[in-house]
Amino acid sequence: MKRILVVDDAATVRLYHRNILEAAGYAVDEAVNGIEAMEKALQTPFDLYVVDINMPKLDGYGFLREIRSQEIAQPPAIMVSTEAESNDRHRAYRAGANIYLIKPVKPDGLLTYIRLLLAEERT
Amino acid sequence: MPIIKQHTIQTVDVDERLQPRDFAGLTAELAADNSTARRWAARDLAEFPEAAGILVERLKREEDTSVREAILTTLARLGDPAAVAGLVECLRSEDASLRNEVIEAMKELPDEVAPIMSELLEDHDPDVRIFAVNILESLCHPQVEAWLISVIEKDAHVNVCATALDLLSEVGTLASRPALQQLKARFADEPYIGFTVDLAIKRIDEN
Repeated sequence: MKRILVVDDAATVRLYHRNILEAAGYAVDEAVNGIEAMEKALQTPFDLYVVDINMPKLDGYGFLREIRSQEIAQPPAIMVSTEAESNDRHRAYRAGANIYLIKPVKPDGLLTYIRLLLAEERT
Repeated sequence: MPIIKQHTIQTVDVDERLQPRDFAGLTAELAADNSTARRWAARDLAEFPEAAGILVERLKREEDTSVREAILTTLARLGDPAAVAGLVECLRSEDASLRNEVIEAMKELPDEVAPIMSELLEDHDPDVRIFAVNILESLCHPQVEAWLISVIEKDAHVNVCATALDLLSEVGTLASRPALQQLKARFADEPYIGFTVDLAIKRIDEN
């Protein structure tokens, strides 16, 4: 079973993503900010990250930059944000995101990208 | 050819106040190369009510985290309209870390932030409205629920409503119920809104 780390400071968002992903057959772990996500990602290998941008302590950009600088397996990352500006999108890609989605995320859209990214990983 | 080592003068990061502690001296020191000097200046400027403006200007370009923290602490201590206005200005920054730090600082100023909250929640920029809702997360003020209800009743931007909804799902009471149902109907095409409204109403009914 593929393991996905959901990183968001809003409990309802984490629960929403968890419900969608578990119903689709993925194992889900959660982190409330970039610091907790770093700790979890360094302890356990994940197949994919779903990361919010605006979080206290360490935001989504910071988390991706940090994790991408580590010598560990690098799973794909979907960055999720309320911000639709192209600057934010470019920053996300520079930080190491593979896909940038605008909130609120629709289940079908999220799952389509996850399946695409995980399939790419297998090739 | 031998490599000639260049000798550079090392500055010692002395943790002491070197300039006069009057307003002019501290203002000068706030622009010093040495981050320790800037940090001390930021702290000591708390004694000067007129310091908010220069502290905010420094905050916008300060890269040292400890100096930023000192500036934000001093602005929170000053807590006057100029300091609060300066913090609001920083909410519009492109720097996500600075915005988060400012949000945390504003949470500590319920009495000072309350008079401008309605204005912030009606800002033309939806991001600023979202940050205003973020401030409400731990702003200990009796009007928090009323502000959130007003957002989900009136705001046209789905993400501003979603952010308010996240918080209402934790702090909402029976007073929120009609507005929550109205929101679900207004954004019937958004699964996240439906999911979170159901969650919030379930929690309200259980309590």
